[in-house]
Amino acid sequence: MKKLTYILLLFSFSCTNLEEVPPSNLTTEQFYKNEKDALAAVNAIYHRMFTEQLVLFNRQLMMLEMATDDVTAGPRTRSAQVVDMSKLQHVPNNTAVEWTWQYTYEAINRANIAVDRIEALGEDVINSELKTRLVNEAKLLRAWNYFNLVRWFGPVPLILHETTSLTNEALQVQQASEEVLYNQIILDLTSAESLPAPGTYATADAGRVTAGAAKTLLAKVYLTRKEWGKAADKLKEVIDLGWYSLFDNFADVYNVATKNGKEHIFSIQFNGDPSIVNHLAMFSLPFEFNGEYVDAPHLPGQLYESYDLQDERRNLTLAKQLYNPQTGQTVNLQHLTYVKFFDSSKALAPQQSAKNIPLFRYADILLMYAEALNELNGPTQEAYHPINLVRQRAHIPLLQEVSLNLTKEQFRDAVFLERRKELALEYHRWFDLARRGPEEYVKALHAAGKTNAAPRHVHFPVPQRELQLNLNLRQHPDWVGF
Amino acid sequence: MIKKNLLHKSSRLLLLLAAYGLSYPIQAAPRIASDNSERRILENNFLNSQPQQTSITGRVTSQEGEPLPGVTVVLKGTSFGSITDLDGNFSLSASLQANNVLVFSFVGYQPKEVPYKAGQRLQVVLTEDAKSLSEVVVVGYGTQKKSDLTGSVGTVSKELIEQQPVSSIDRALQGAAAGVQVTQTSGQPGGGVSIRIRGGGSIQGGNEPLYVIDGFPLYNNAASAGVTSGADVNPLASINPSDIESMHILKDASATAIYGSRGANGVIIITTKKGAAGTSIVSYEGSYGLQALRQKIDLLNASEFAQLRNEALQDRNPAGGPYQYLAPAEIAALGTGTDWQDAAFHQSPIQNHQISISGGNEKTRYALTGGYFGQDGIIRNTDFKRLSARINLDSKITDKFNVGLNLTGSRTDANLAPSGIVSSLLTMPPTATIYEADGNYTFRNPFENLITNPIASLFEQTNKTNTLRVLSTIYGEYTLLDGLVAKVSFGTDITTTKDESYIPRTLYEGIAVNGQAAIGQLNSYSWLNENTLTYRKESGKHSLNALLGFTQQEFSNDVFRAGSQQFVSDDLTYNSLQGGATPTVPYSDAYSWSLISYLGRLNYFFDQRYFFTASLRADGSSRFGKNNKWGYFPSVAFAWKISNENFFTNVNLPITDFKFRTSFGATGNQEIGMYQSLSTLSSVRVLLGEQITTGFRPDRIANDNLGWETTYQFDSGIDLGLFENRLLLTVDGYYKKTVDLLLNVQIPWTSGHSSSLQNFGAVENRGLEFGINTVNIDNGALTWNSSLNLAFNRNKVLKIGDGQEDFIISGDYIIKVGEPLGSFYGSVTDGVLQPGEVAEKGNLTGKSSPKAGDRLYKDVDNNGTFSNAADRAIIGNAQPDYFFGLTNNIAWKGLDLSVFLQGSVGNQIVNKNRQSLELFTGLQNAAGSARDRWSPSNTDTDIPRASSDPSNIFSNRFVEDGSYIRLKNITLGYTLPVALTKWARVSNARLFITGQNLLTWTSYTGYDPEVTSTNNTVSQGTDQGVYPVAKTVTTGVKVTF
Repeated sequence: MKKLTYILLLFSFSCTNLEEVPPSNLTTEQFYKNEKDALAAVNAIYHRMFTEQLVLFNRQLMMLEMATDDVTAGPRTRSAQVVDMSKLQHVPNNTAVEWTWQYTYEAINRANIAVDRIEALGEDVINSELKTRLVNEAKLLRAWNYFNLVRWFGPVPLILHETTSLTNEALQVQQASEEVLYNQIILDLTSAESLPAPGTYATADAGRVTAGAAKTLLAKVYLTRKEWGKAADKLKEVIDLGWYSLFDNFADVYNVATKNGKEHIFSIQFNGDPSIVNHLAMFSLPFEFNGEYVDAPHLPGQLYESYDLQDERRNLTLAKQLYNPQTGQTVNLQHLTYVKFFDSSKALAPQQSAKNIPLFRYADILLMYAEALNELNGPTQEAYHPINLVRQRAHIPLLQEVSLNLTKEQFRDAVFLERRKELALEYHRWFDLARRGPEEYVKALHAAGKTNAAPRHVHFPVPQRELQLNLNLRQHPDWVGF
Repeated sequence: MIKKNLLHKSSRLLLLLAAYGLSYPIQAAPRIASDNSERRILENNFLNSQPQQTSITGRVTSQEGEPLPGVTVVLKGTSFGSITDLDGNFSLSASLQANNVLVFSFVGYQPKEVPYKAGQRLQVVLTEDAKSLSEVVVVGYGTQKKSDLTGSVGTVSKELIEQQPVSSIDRALQGAAAGVQVTQTSGQPGGGVSIRIRGGGSIQGGNEPLYVIDGFPLYNNAASAGVTSGADVNPLASINPSDIESMHILKDASATAIYGSRGANGVIIITTKKGAAGTSIVSYEGSYGLQALRQKIDLLNASEFAQLRNEALQDRNPAGGPYQYLAPAEIAALGTGTDWQDAAFHQSPIQNHQISISGGNEKTRYALTGGYFGQDGIIRNTDFKRLSARINLDSKITDKFNVGLNLTGSRTDANLAPSGIVSSLLTMPPTATIYEADGNYTFRNPFENLITNPIASLFEQTNKTNTLRVLSTIYGEYTLLDGLVAKVSFGTDITTTKDESYIPRTLYEGIAVNGQAAIGQLNSYSWLNENTLTYRKESGKHSLNALLGFTQQEFSNDVFRAGSQQFVSDDLTYNSLQGGATPTVPYSDAYSWSLISYLGRLNYFFDQRYFFTASLRADGSSRFGKNNKWGYFPSVAFAWKISNENFFTNVNLPITDFKFRTSFGATGNQEIGMYQSLSTLSSVRVLLGEQITTGFRPDRIANDNLGWETTYQFDSGIDLGLFENRLLLTVDGYYKKTVDLLLNVQIPWTSGHSSSLQNFGAVENRGLEFGINTVNIDNGALTWNSSLNLAFNRNKVLKIGDGQEDFIISGDYIIKVGEPLGSFYGSVTDGVLQPGEVAEKGNLTGKSSPKAGDRLYKDVDNNGTFSNAADRAIIGNAQPDYFFGLTNNIAWKGLDLSVFLQGSVGNQIVNKNRQSLELFTGLQNAAGSARDRWSPSNTDTDIPRASSDPSNIFSNRFVEDGSYIRLKNITLGYTLPVALTKWARVSNARLFITGQNLLTWTSYTGYDPEVTSTNNTVSQGTDQGVYPVAKTVTTGVKVTF
């Protein structure tokens, strides 16, 4: 019996336990404790928006650009979803739309985590100046994403805290009105105006958002809402601060040597690191260079034809032939390609292009200012000045030299045309077309041969999946039945 | 089988004692002999000596001519008897009587009565008893007589495993037992298979069975360090199939519930060969064979392709005329062009060598084996090699204390086919050449569709992996009291897998980065401790067998990868990562899980008529949420042996055995990844300036309630033996319901996440299984046995999500309530658009500018236009209506023939290769069906026209009947007469020739109907670029000294 006792002892002797402590993953409970954690939480927002493999900006936005008059799905496009988008045949379960919604809310969730968790940190663990900065970075990025959402989808759920529960209450959030969304956007951006001024970050942080980015976004919000006075004031504020000016040469906007320069307000950063993919550059590699990208954007001639012959921007934006540094030959291309982000030193590995992609830059400020002033007071001299700065830099005649006595409407058209040429492929076109309204949008797309375009296309449909999973969600009224 | 061995051993013990001059009454033989007829003979006493005696001598052998030691020889009607010696010889003195008959009996063989005459030397051949072959089965934590079983346990015969030239044991299971469905996921040498026992019940969790090898439970997770591309090597391929003595498949809850949270998908118990007491037996077995592709896929040749391309180009640019690619004269000069399939596939060798030495004495028994298996793939430059060794040792330290060891070590090496090779072989245009005029490899498809040169990839890429595995268990067993045995065992499974890859600068894949090298290593380590107490008590009509146990197992895994790019030379490949100018981001991670279990089982048998079993296992698993760590898995079962009832003796039917069984119980599934309940964070790399910096993002929302997936199973069956058990029939019906499915429940993206692993939903499987074994002829000289297994399984999704939606679309598949898993979801074709129909039916082509010759689709949602997303229906299913295996064994003198047919009926296959080959773009090669494509001169067809811009739509056109019947194995063997081999001290020599997969009857047009690209139950039955299965002819020899 004694032996039996010994044996039974074995039964109670346990060498393992059931607690899970992942050796290669942190858990939420362990994290968000100090400055470094706070920084990592904010970095994760940038990651979702600008770096992640299926990146929101840069890749996803290019799919939405398919719904403009600039870009169509090229002959090598294998994704039927992108082709549908290009032909304006997309429906509420189009993946390009769904992913955009998904990635944007992922970025928002990360921003919410950063705002809440960093605000909860005490002064003993984080420098208060850094704390304020990081919270404001997160708020700006959150506002930017909501600004995109409200422009794309109209009313959407407004979520301002991390989702930590799986209950229906936590998951099935109602849509907020555009008014409520914009109020929150303006609130966050106003707070973010206290971010550091440009130039105050170290080089290693040059890709972070600044006070300049906050003010630019605010101005865009006012412009989109047709609050022309507020927009003009905010734009004038940016101009008067003197932080930014145009490069003398248009080429310097994209040159590696002049990245994060005087014209750049916010750019997606690239340095040629093989682990980070520059999608826009990768998309642009033509077939003749062994390009193979599945969603290759294709540029019909309309944009190319819109440039004056002497316009310096045309050949810096689009190319019919391309020099291959490896073979030393210039190759004629079957299709037009865009070359703004094409790094000729990486001709065979274009995804490693070291060229930044500017999302906000001073030329955009100037053109917005011209637009706002025209809307306020008509085509005054004051309105002509900023657009002419942009035209001069492109070495094309001043606007009044081309056509005298523009009406307010003609001036507006001129500004939008200038925006199209100046900011091509920098993700402004869809927003510009949509904010001009359904009539202008349909007209522009029909002119480009996209005859499926209809008034509802100034919004994207709320993803079908979300409508199924969130019973409190409603389809955009224009999209009901499609 | 185990029992047969034990008896073998006990008999040898007797011999040994006899050799030492000890008298040993037969009746004192160990009590292991429990078969009634056996016992009756043993109970006879032969001590009574008689005055007038005659000497009778003779030799007893098996059908194969092997001498049978330890056979009991008794003079019929008396108690005089003897036992055969090691060479099968016996001699016995008896007085001549009228009744001159000797009775020979030996466990595992049919008893035989032979008349004798004085002075005659008898030659007696005993026939193996088909029934007793499966007499004793290994169940969880013990063994049981088959006749006592209450559960459903399938047995795979050793012969069936041995005669198949396969790299891993799971491949030999195809058709081997009722209800076990095996599908090859890759024909890559050493590649994997997907196994479903009684259907798949899990959507997100694993569906593979649990393997228990000599008591060590392991789940066959793919082992790759993530560096190689293409199909992974099957981890089970590191276990040598030649070492296997028996395989038992536990199917119903009564059998599997003792494995608790890992039993839901069935359990395969594998026992390796042990030594037996007696002189050492040395044997060698070797085989060599050739493999070949079953059939090529019909594709266009160069001139046909050129014509297609001309048409596609004209479609894009009508102004360019009909010869934009090549003019008729150039086409005529092309001939057949490059046959990429011929360039890649070849006849390849396969070989297997095994040496084993086994033996022992009364205290210690041992078995040592060493094996080599080498297989070259039917695709060039792919192979698999295994070198393995094993030692199995059992020793009796004292009367009460036994110890034992099972230890195997192996090294496998494989060259894998890079991913996409088969697709590339099929789609590469026949007008492209393997080499350019300058002798270098052609880079890629010259047209606007990236296909890299598959032959260059095969020959120039390094894509290999090797695995070192040591699997061991040791145990000690102590008899505490009469019938009460304590057993403690420890086991470890240590595996190291190293992946090596190099893509040279000379390939398209490598030129952009100037060569890319990578290595990766995966280390996994698992330890196990099991402590059990068993108690056996027999008293009169009562028989009790109880088991109590405590087990714990821990598993840990770590992986690292490193690589670099930009090489100056291709010579050093992956062996000098520092030679690459640009390192790629290194990677490492680690995880572990642990399982703590308490288990108990009680068997109570009354009078060999009523059999009760109850079991319970409590499993605590680290993998689940903190509120749900523990799961409890009970089972109960009852069997009634009707044939042992008194009333049955009066029944005038040719029924020998008749048993009814029924069981009910619960089992679990823990096969989800690790840390799935925790809100973990992952590091991400982000560039905010000149340097890359780190961020941490959330992986998921924590779910503290994450728990077990539970399968409830009800099983009822009968075992029927007719005509003195010459016909054995087993029928089982079952109903399995898997609830609390581990399901990645979709949640609104507004949460910042896509899904959350939750316990939701239910799936059912119900089915019928039949097993029939017959002895068709047995007249001493000629025997013919047949064995058929047949299974029907019906799978149905009962519930998914939380009621908001009743289906989940996952690519070309749909998971829908009321439908089985593996349902294909796609468009339905409706002929081809004819001239004049464009206005009327053009919007049913899915194209914005339809033309005559475009494929038409059904408007499923009746809204007037066809759209790829909206107009889809369920167009097929991967689950078979039934599947079966049929084995016939015929033996005549020294010749033996085994014919094994196996088939699956009613399942469908998504032929994704064909979908790609029927695009007719002129950018890539096309299927032979392109010859009948629509053109203005060939309008009466359902094959669409050539077009540079086709809609690539998944439709029922690409769903094919996957039913097949195949001659899985045919083996002809010849055992040389002992007289011929005795001079070389060879006691047995057998020559054999085996054909595997030689004949296949199927209407499937792909390479092989045994195919599935993934082993996922949701997306089973897809054939997309799968390495095809080979047919093989092997010859070999087995020699025992």
